[in-house]
Amino acid sequence: MSGEEEENAAELKIGEEFLKAKCLMNCEVALILEHKYEQLQQMSDDPMNQVSRVFEKSLQYVKRFSRYKNPDAVRQVREILSRYQLAEFELCVLGNLCPETVEEAIAMVPSIKTKGRAHDDDAIERMLNDLSLIKKFE
Amino acid sequence: MFFEVELQRDVKINATNLDKPVSRRFILACLLDNLFKEKASEDHGYFLAVTRLKSIGKGNVMDESGNTVFTVVFTCRTFKPFPGEELQGVVRYISQHGVLLKCGPIRNAFLSAWKMSKYQYNPGKKPAFLNNELSKIEKGVVVCFLVLAVRWINASRDFEMLASVDADSLGPVSLPGSDELEL
Repeated sequence: MSGEEEENAAELKIGEEFLKAKCLMNCEVALILEHKYEQLQQMSDDPMNQVSRVFEKSLQYVKRFSRYKNPDAVRQVREILSRYQLAEFELCVLGNLCPETVEEAIAMVPSIKTKGRAHDDDAIERMLNDLSLIKKFE
Repeated sequence: MFFEVELQRDVKINATNLDKPVSRRFILACLLDNLFKEKASEDHGYFLAVTRLKSIGKGNVMDESGNTVFTVVFTCRTFKPFPGEELQGVVRYISQHGVLLKCGPIRNAFLSAWKMSKYQYNPGKKPAFLNNELSKIEKGVVVCFLVLAVRWINASRDFEMLASVDADSLGPVSLPGSDELEL
């Protein structure tokens, strides 16, 4: 295992470099990789030969596991989640897994209920309601 | 999780290519080629795409042959799993001992039967793990799992994961779509 401190994403222990790095939701990566793949399609008769196995598997993965397909909806999801003082990592886990209840959200991202953080159940519920509205009208 | 991280790599240009001024384009082409071959690193995960070039250093001659190294700093999109993270994967293999999930570029996330305590193995033509609520984990099913541990395999430059579904909100999920790339 890498890192001196035990890594645990549930406690946001992912190393300083990744705490500061920009995280991307599956739906954001899907838009980016699909655009890249379309560019390759225009340039080549066989775009699959131009991409690595890592790219191909990642594109399959994010296309299948994107909860939001519409670019405007993807933008709105990030905008809404950004209002709630979440770490980038937490924001993306919530955007990827789309919990439906407060209990689910806390189970998926335990760090949002860490002592001292301002995320009470009402705030989490409001956030989940906002997300579900985007899904409904996508 | 997908990240955008800053990386630094030394790009070595052979002296045979130095008979004319080395272009930025050539250095970048070498960088992309090197990253393609490197595939992934233990620290940063799988390399997906270079997004921004930050700087190319002045070339430093390495040795008497005249081979020169350029230090390139750039941002790169990567995929790296972390213990404690919840991810989704697709079942690709089942045995009585557990299940192998594929998750993005990661081919092996092992979900042991010990970590599916509410599920029992059901052998047969289409083996599966079933629980009392008739929830089924079989080949092709999407499973939401907790990453218990991550291991870096230097020989193949891959990550492997240990998974668990022994918690609320984990287990098989129904998501539309297939794993095939729609061309």
